[in-house]
Amino acid sequence: MKYLLICFGMFWGFSMISQNKEVLYGLEEVPQSMLLNPGARINYSKHIGIPFLSQIHVNGGSSGVSVYDIFQESNTNINDRIRDKIFELKNTDFFTATQQIDVLNFGWKSKKEIYFSGGVYQELDFVLYFPRDLAILAWEGNANYIDKEFDLGEISTTGDLLMVYHFGVNKKINNKFTLGLRGKIYSSMLSFRSVNNRGSFVTRISETDNNIYEHIVSNADLTVNTSGIASLSELDGSSQVMSKVLGRAFFGGNLGLGIDIGATYEINEKWTASASVLDVGAIFHKKDVESYKVDGEYTLDGIELLFPPLGNGDSTPPYYDDLVDEFENEFPIDTITSSYTQMRPVKTYASVKYNFGKAIGGSGACNCLKMGENQEYNQAVGFQYYSMFRPKGPQMAATLFYYRRFSNFLSVKATYTADSYSYSNIGLGLIANLGIVNFYIIADNLLWYENIAKAKSVSLQLGFNLIFAE
Amino acid sequence: MKKKFPLLLLFTAVILFFSACIKDTDFNQTDDIEVTPIIELDFLFSNITSQIFTDIGVNNLVLSDTTDFDFLNDQFTVDNLERAEFYFKNTNSMPVSFEMKFQFLDENNEEHYLISIPIASGELNNPVISEQIENIETDGIVSLTMADKVVLSIEASSSVDNIEGTLKLQSKTTYYLKIIQ
Repeated sequence: MKYLLICFGMFWGFSMISQNKEVLYGLEEVPQSMLLNPGARINYSKHIGIPFLSQIHVNGGSSGVSVYDIFQESNTNINDRIRDKIFELKNTDFFTATQQIDVLNFGWKSKKEIYFSGGVYQELDFVLYFPRDLAILAWEGNANYIDKEFDLGEISTTGDLLMVYHFGVNKKINNKFTLGLRGKIYSSMLSFRSVNNRGSFVTRISETDNNIYEHIVSNADLTVNTSGIASLSELDGSSQVMSKVLGRAFFGGNLGLGIDIGATYEINEKWTASASVLDVGAIFHKKDVESYKVDGEYTLDGIELLFPPLGNGDSTPPYYDDLVDEFENEFPIDTITSSYTQMRPVKTYASVKYNFGKAIGGSGACNCLKMGENQEYNQAVGFQYYSMFRPKGPQMAATLFYYRRFSNFLSVKATYTADSYSYSNIGLGLIANLGIVNFYIIADNLLWYENIAKAKSVSLQLGFNLIFAE
Repeated sequence: MKKKFPLLLLFTAVILFFSACIKDTDFNQTDDIEVTPIIELDFLFSNITSQIFTDIGVNNLVLSDTTDFDFLNDQFTVDNLERAEFYFKNTNSMPVSFEMKFQFLDENNEEHYLISIPIASGELNNPVISEQIENIETDGIVSLTMADKVVLSIEASSSVDNIEGTLKLQSKTTYYLKIIQ
């Protein structure tokens, strides 16, 4: 258990926040920015991502607690710190983890000036809302909470492991407007979700006066949908499990469809606006589907002894077994194998930026290297908005950024983001171009890098591409 | 120097990216984590009339009933139960006193714990409440968690035949758990 907790803590500290990639968005030098805005401006003729290395991305977060909050070296007892956090967190606080690896990523510009791009990436996405009432019940018990209704509906979690095959087109419609569209096929490897639950549990002084208390479960309606998980229990050993799960990556799983759409509008040579909507789509879970549903109501007030007259050889009534049977009958677990449709969590980006500084490729109001196009500058500041739909509503973030191109060799983007995790998230991205080799590394929550345990969220992205200039 | 600046910046930044550390934390504290919920749970209840005594026989003075209570010797309970506090409330409106016994037995009917409760006589219009708390800790918990059934015996001090009134038993247990790794 100790090592499990440590692993959880390390994972928590190193790799958590939502799927916001605020530094990568708008970084036109990096081909993976097209995955965040298929309508991004593209200034190269083709690119090839180094397989499995063109984007390695881990991120996640805990909106209300850091590793340091719990495991700090301190004179206070760790149990007091855990208890304090349980009470401090709200049921809208959440833990998320996401991870992406680009398997393939490529693109080229056609003779008609359309940039085609495609590839395959693997994605893990997990969110767990903090079930505050249940945490209090588990940590404290019910003794000091007589008459308190514990909300069973706080259970809300989803998890997905999938492979995404995508292909997109990007076209500069005119000097001001670039539009992009990307189609996606999702191949779900594993999926579970338990949302929209309801019910309550209360211990109250008995109103019937049968016994001291009544323990009441009311209006319970809990559901867990799974796909790709039930059949794994029949397999023997982790190698068989891995083999089966990986087999689903190549269209062997439950399939889905989605689109990304995005655009960039150059208002004038100084101002640029862009926006995108990603993962508008759904996965249709039809294979290896098992959903579990429990609903009912029950009141427990102990075991009533009846003292029946018994003859020789008669046994007493099976009070305890009857109680267990009664409970199980009231809360039968229905296993449902009918298919279900899962909407993908839609993500939205929007940005406006102001370009300034030294002119690149010439001076004045035209770009002398790209005649007829707006002048480019080596610096920019701007604002970005991000939102992602989650079971209990959207997670949002607002970002201010500063971009600077030092040379053809090196560009930097620094961000300040306010989101559900903190109001002090400083991020930094570095993009280096060594000939045709493009390397980028991006991290956020840099203020906590000196001691990452204090960060409520951290993300890291890096990758290598080969980029061929126009 | 100007041309070297971007290279220097890149080098420094990459070093910084990979120099993140975790400090001022002590993961060995996981050894100290104790979850200590206190759980209130109803125990046994009953409504006893003279009829129940006479159904067994005229001038019968003793009632007895048994229920399994597998929860007590469940491995989770054995491992984590620190203390149990039983609370018994008897409301007697019969003009007879009783002796109530809770015997905690294992599957071989060997007794591991016994709770005896004297119940004062009452009156039909003036029931008498007898309350008792039994606090069980340390060796008592070891004994209690060896049991998986409870026998409740009630012995009247004199005949209850044709006596009006009831003996109402209500009870609960407060379980003090200490869950450590």
